[in-house]
Amino acid sequence: MADPSDNPKWAMIIDLQKCVGCDSCTVACKVENRTPPGVNYNVVVEEEVGTFPNVRRVNIPRPCMQCDVPPCVTVCPVNATYKGDDGVVVIDADRCIGCRYCITACPYGARSFDFGESYADEMQGADEVQAPEWGIDWGERGGIWKAPVGTVRKCTFCAHRIPRGEEPACVETCIGDARYFGDLNDPSSLVAKLSTDPRSFRLKEEVGTEPSVWYLR
Amino acid sequence: MSTDTTIKRAERRQHTATKATGWRRFTNEGNGREPFLTPRNRVLWYGFLGICLVVGAWGVITRITQGLQMTDLTSQMPWGAWVAFYIFFVGLSAGAFLLSSLVYVFGMYQFEKIGRAALLSAIVSMFVALAFIGMDLGRFDRALLTLVHFHYTSPLSWEVRFYVIYIVLLIAELVIALRLHKGIVKSATRAKKWLRILGTIGVPLAIIGVHGGTGTIFAVVKARAMWFGGLFPIIFVVSAMVSGTALLIAINYWQARGSGRRPDASLLQGLGTVLLAAALIDILLTFYEYIVPLLALETHDLGIVGIQATGPYAWTFWILQLGMGMVIPAIILLSPLRKKLGWIIAAAMMTVVGIIGVRFNIVVPPLIPPIIDGYPVNDYFPTINEWLLILFFLAGGALLYSLVSEWQPIHEPEEHELLDEHAEVTS
Repeated sequence: MADPSDNPKWAMIIDLQKCVGCDSCTVACKVENRTPPGVNYNVVVEEEVGTFPNVRRVNIPRPCMQCDVPPCVTVCPVNATYKGDDGVVVIDADRCIGCRYCITACPYGARSFDFGESYADEMQGADEVQAPEWGIDWGERGGIWKAPVGTVRKCTFCAHRIPRGEEPACVETCIGDARYFGDLNDPSSLVAKLSTDPRSFRLKEEVGTEPSVWYLR
Repeated sequence: MSTDTTIKRAERRQHTATKATGWRRFTNEGNGREPFLTPRNRVLWYGFLGICLVVGAWGVITRITQGLQMTDLTSQMPWGAWVAFYIFFVGLSAGAFLLSSLVYVFGMYQFEKIGRAALLSAIVSMFVALAFIGMDLGRFDRALLTLVHFHYTSPLSWEVRFYVIYIVLLIAELVIALRLHKGIVKSATRAKKWLRILGTIGVPLAIIGVHGGTGTIFAVVKARAMWFGGLFPIIFVVSAMVSGTALLIAINYWQARGSGRRPDASLLQGLGTVLLAAALIDILLTFYEYIVPLLALETHDLGIVGIQATGPYAWTFWILQLGMGMVIPAIILLSPLRKKLGWIIAAAMMTVVGIIGVRFNIVVPPLIPPIIDGYPVNDYFPTINEWLLILFFLAGGALLYSLVSEWQPIHEPEEHELLDEHAEVTS
């Protein structure tokens, strides 16, 4: 990751030719953000394309697209979710009422509702720390009246890691180096260059959401 | 209502008012009032509601203790039956209110008898709608934050404010209508003028603000085919008119039967004509809603139409939405069957149930297909506990409506209706 400019706009590039579909990013994300069952900030969509014998397996890792025109943000009735100056779309868990309007509005299915489930039955100490992505100590995961339970959650490009100069967990962990993270406002950055690569495309361009995540086909 | 009868009624009331105590005082039976229900029907009705409330309470308790885990919802399938019932009841409310405006704004006095019942059902429906959407919030303890924080691009944020203004306006209008009916206003002309003013403000509020706006909540979601589009809010309003009119027909008929009166056939037939008109417009709009994506071969829309027509909920589409909600009532009301009161009531009641299917098909099927190719196909059917909560609020709404009707002269027939019945008995 190059040095960020004064006014960074974070973006991600995912090279689909390098992705092997190992799901390490999903696992790293769950560990880093301690997301409970049913809450997934990152998934890898695996699809088989074509008919035999001309078949091909496509893996599309899907973090939040951090759209420049985010439809999830415009529909929020209480302004609980908003796009930060750094381009990351975040949610104020202390304001979210849990109406899930934003989930219906997201064309990428990138938002999850925290139904209050827990890995405690499968993993020791699963509830001891939760949701550190806001950089706030939420303490133990509690009942249905303790945020972020009952609110909507999403990928923040690991907003708690960026100030420390660290890449998002999914980028750092990728075994094939398929993901790049950086500042789009810095013209010399790798992401700025790759975003205009002839191989680059974005998901559902036709919806007009202007995602900050580019894929290389 | 002429001034003479108003004075006569007030005198009669004053004459008998001192005798009533307890329940009789609450229901004003001792005051020369028509009872809301006969004593036997009262036991049956409140017994039935009581059982529904006790059974349904389990759903509410589970919701409060377990949160939304007790639903069949997931992050990919975020809205379900409670949202469908929320928009159903907002629709009932808007429809019932628009019906009352026929009386108070547009001067169609042949429907005067249902004016107060329409206003009360509009109020109760709004409370039930808010109860459903409140229970659906992940954090209903924060529900009032929606009034604190305003977001002008969110239809939902506008809606909440419109709902509050609308409920206040409805209550004000009902209070004036009741005072006018009881003959305790200083000037009947002024009261009628205020009813007209409030009703006139209420009509655009109900159409654009309350129910068109609720349709807009869905219509602006470009991510979901079949929601996104300009026709959607209009269909919402028209089907609201359909369900509201149908509900009022059913309430008016069954209340008359329950209180031992003869149902007013000419009133109900007139309402049947209103229902027919609304149902025909609804069919027309629905036709265009479906024919456009079908002829355009719009793949996303077609996927959802396919789920509606052939998926696991196809019965709600064919039987509830198209059959009971639109085509069968329209056929009944167009055919000579409409001369028989029983058929009108049947058409109205199947319409109310059918529109529930319409609302379900609005909310659920567009959320079923995977939002990105490669995601799993969603599946949703309300759990037992979701149904129990629905039962609780349906019964709760009916109870609230009944108690207010016992307490206030909501259904009290006008003088001339009593005279008519008297004439029939003696002849």
